[in-house]
Amino acid sequence: MNERETAQAIADRAAEWVARVDRAAGDAVVQAKLEAWLGDDVRRRGAYFRAQAAWAMLDRASVLRAGQGYEPEEAPERSARLTRRRMLWGGGAMAAGVAISITGFDLLSSSDQRIETALGEIRRVPLHDGSFAAVNTETTLDVTLKPKVRRVALARGEAWFQVAKDRARPFIVESGDVRVRAVGTAFAVRRTENGVDVQVTEGVVEVWRTGDEANARRVAAGARTFVGNAAAPVLAPAVVSASAEIDRALSWRSGQLVFDGDTVAEAAAEFNRYNQIKIEIADPTLGQEKMIGRFRTNEPDAFVRAAATLLDAHAEARADRIILSRH
Amino acid sequence: MEVAKTDDVNGEHRARIMAWVGSEVLPHEADVRAWLRRTLAPEDAEDVIQEAYCQIAGLADVDHIQSARAYLFTTARSVVLMRLRRARIVRIETVSEIDNLDVVGEDPSPERVAAGRRELARVRRLIDGLPDRCRRIFELRKIEGLSQREVAERMGVAEYIVENDVGKGLKLILKAIAEGEGKAERAITRMEKDERARDSTSDR
Repeated sequence: MNERETAQAIADRAAEWVARVDRAAGDAVVQAKLEAWLGDDVRRRGAYFRAQAAWAMLDRASVLRAGQGYEPEEAPERSARLTRRRMLWGGGAMAAGVAISITGFDLLSSSDQRIETALGEIRRVPLHDGSFAAVNTETTLDVTLKPKVRRVALARGEAWFQVAKDRARPFIVESGDVRVRAVGTAFAVRRTENGVDVQVTEGVVEVWRTGDEANARRVAAGARTFVGNAAAPVLAPAVVSASAEIDRALSWRSGQLVFDGDTVAEAAAEFNRYNQIKIEIADPTLGQEKMIGRFRTNEPDAFVRAAATLLDAHAEARADRIILSRH
Repeated sequence: MEVAKTDDVNGEHRARIMAWVGSEVLPHEADVRAWLRRTLAPEDAEDVIQEAYCQIAGLADVDHIQSARAYLFTTARSVVLMRLRRARIVRIETVSEIDNLDVVGEDPSPERVAAGRRELARVRRLIDGLPDRCRRIFELRKIEGLSQREVAERMGVAEYIVENDVGKGLKLILKAIAEGEGKAERAITRMEKDERARDSTSDR
């Protein structure tokens, strides 16, 4: 296949055609050649029309003919250089906005903390050792700080930790029989029905099952590993191609959900983690459609509305759910 | 002769639509482009704009259109939607963006006051921005109203040089129109500010 003609190339050719037709007005041969160039190409036809309109607009200048006054209205403005307001997947863009406010943190004792989040709640909590936790929806964490070790029990849900450096006191997250140890690093742990997911954003952590510490796996920044519920040993971590992928998966920290080639069904399941109002996809084929997009965790309605518009589907809001169906 | 007459009527009609596009639509093109670029790659935005003009070219009548600006935005929006539906992967953020159309597409009324004067100034600026020989040719052709042949005679150059310069000058003018005159950039800055205000609950 030929390389696609660029919009700029088309615009330039269109201007040349206007010049040619202006020189040879009414010439049937030129007209026929022009029609041949235009063909059925919507872009060429659009570009030619645009160039014609610009050419016609310049006729306005005829009033400037000798004898007609003209006073310049203002100095020419500098030409606009349009900055893209934001790149779709630009790294820093994730920090954009947070819809959820923090409500402080709970204390069990001076050094123990229990952190619980409700459905849809996302909390950023400083830990007493100087570490920091971003705690996702429906999560329960118990933090115990001992002289020799810092323990965090993740009973359910998901959290991302920015661990304060302290060589003497390793930071260990316990989730079921899975252990994740860090000294000074940043990583996320998510407990699901099927197992525990570990994603590392900085430094290195070690992951093992209780009783199998000898077979601990090292997981470095930009990589993730999933430890299933079956009592098998921890497998080598899957290295994720780029840390951008992990940033995307952890965009909940700033109250956002980012999708990139996920199916509509997967996206709906993500929203349902955060919201009382559940998204229901009535037609499985709709659920298979892939999509790219960024939303706030607490706006399932915006997501469904957008999906309905794009997929030419129907969105119906009920008291406790939003149904996406074919017309 | 009957055919020729119909052609004349059509030609006149088309010329009216063209004049409308030239004075009412083109000035808003840079804003539409800026808006499209918020979610589309630059080359995709260009495709959308060309397709939008193609749709406008097919209009039988423009008398019913109250706001050319809103019309251009709406047309571009429908082209984007058409393209998205054809695409294998659905880019949902784009749809959310284009749902904001009502806000963006509004007529900034104070800017349209004294439109005629502004337009004249704009045309003058566009012509003045051309390289010397080009500018002279455009002045003779558009201000003095000479034909290309007459321009060639007056300037003592070959006719094909005039045609080349007309093409070259028009390309430059189209680029200037595409870039807008600082207006689009200001509008974007304004929108960003609004958005930041909305997002000010951020604690990061």
